Amino acid sequence: MHRAIGGAAGVWFIERWCRPDLPYHRAMPSANLPSLHDTRRGSLSCVGLGMTLGSHLTPLARSHIEQADVVFAALSDPIAEEWLKRMHPDVRSLQPHYAEGKPRMKTYREWVARMMADLRAGKRVCGVFYGHPGIFAWSPHKVIEQARAEGYEAHMEPGISAEDCLYADLGFDPGRYGCQHFEASQLLYCERRIDTAGYLVLWQVGVVGNRSVGRFETGPAYRALLVERLEQDYPPGHEVIVYRGATLPIERARIQRITLRELAGAPLTAEETVVLPPAVTLQPNRAMLDRLQALDLRGQEATAA
Amino acid sequence: MTDTIELLEAIGSDASLRYAPADELKGVLEQAKASVGLSMAAESGDGAPLRYELGLQRISETPQMNAPGHGDEEEEEADVPLPEPFKPDRSPTLPAKQALSS
Repeated sequence: MHRAIGGAAGVWFIERWCRPDLPYHRAMPSANLPSLHDTRRGSLSCVGLGMTLGSHLTPLARSHIEQADVVFAALSDPIAEEWLKRMHPDVRSLQPHYAEGKPRMKTYREWVARMMADLRAGKRVCGVFYGHPGIFAWSPHKVIEQARAEGYEAHMEPGISAEDCLYADLGFDPGRYGCQHFEASQLLYCERRIDTAGYLVLWQVGVVGNRSVGRFETGPAYRALLVERLEQDYPPGHEVIVYRGATLPIERARIQRITLRELAGAPLTAEETVVLPPAVTLQPNRAMLDRLQALDLRGQEATAA
Repeated sequence: MTDTIELLEAIGSDASLRYAPADELKGVLEQAKASVGLSMAAESGDGAPLRYELGLQRISETPQMNAPGHGDEEEEEADVPLPEPFKPDRSPTLPAKQALSS
């Protein structure tokens, strides 16, 4: 295995860092075309940085960042924020708006207000969010909606999300048995039907039951309620996978397998995701299968006639 | 010493380095004159030594996602979802009715 690093790739790596003049992120040759910007008024883009530094940023998202007048950042890792600062000289972190005891919705409204203020000032604004900017992210959708309502050009560029990494790292395909995703608290606040024949993915289990006022972790007693709810559909010994993706390229995904009964006592932060594999096999829908067969027969008869 | 952020980006975007065994990556980083914090982080597979070296604290208060997660966009202080009366229409749609009657 050492050949991979000690060989061509290793030489390339070393040589590159012996040449600081070489713009490493522009290694791929590309045609030079002039950028087209409507300079008369501001515009907005919300882009995803992906989950892992250096691995997931798309060329188009990078271009939005580099061509913006001002960049707002809502990233989970300060090192990723430092990386972003290498792409643009005016990166403004949105993280200081979070505060213990402050409703998260208030924080997210402030983010929207900050981005809208620069947009109204005629700037090209780029909001950079970790993962995908439109998945479990309130502010990007809201600020785009508001910008468009005021007549500004605004759009979203997708990024590689935690969900995407989860499928790759855990090695399951959501298309095989189906897959439900819930913000964990929703299972406590609302009557929801869980389909145990498919995968169940629960987000933000570490802050389950956190009702509006910002708290960064809730305790085992809150998770015990979640376990109680899940035990309505799963046996206590059912497998639970606690997953955390890598944000730095020197890290590996963290995957821990426990049982449902152990979930309440497991150390969890808001960064961990919980996955429950299927508990029952898929049951055929006889009535629909019969009707499909009837349609097939009717089609065959029509073809034959 | 080579710039740590640039080295991280290079590792993240290189197929031979991103999943390289820790000891092999350590050797490459030594050749690249990486910082002590980055070398330690790569060896342990944990970014903590690197954050310490860079003077950056992990943003522990950051939720996994930037979303309130409770559905209500309009209630600022109580983001528990409002009840939405919804009764699914189980009657056949028009094409289905036509198919059934034919």
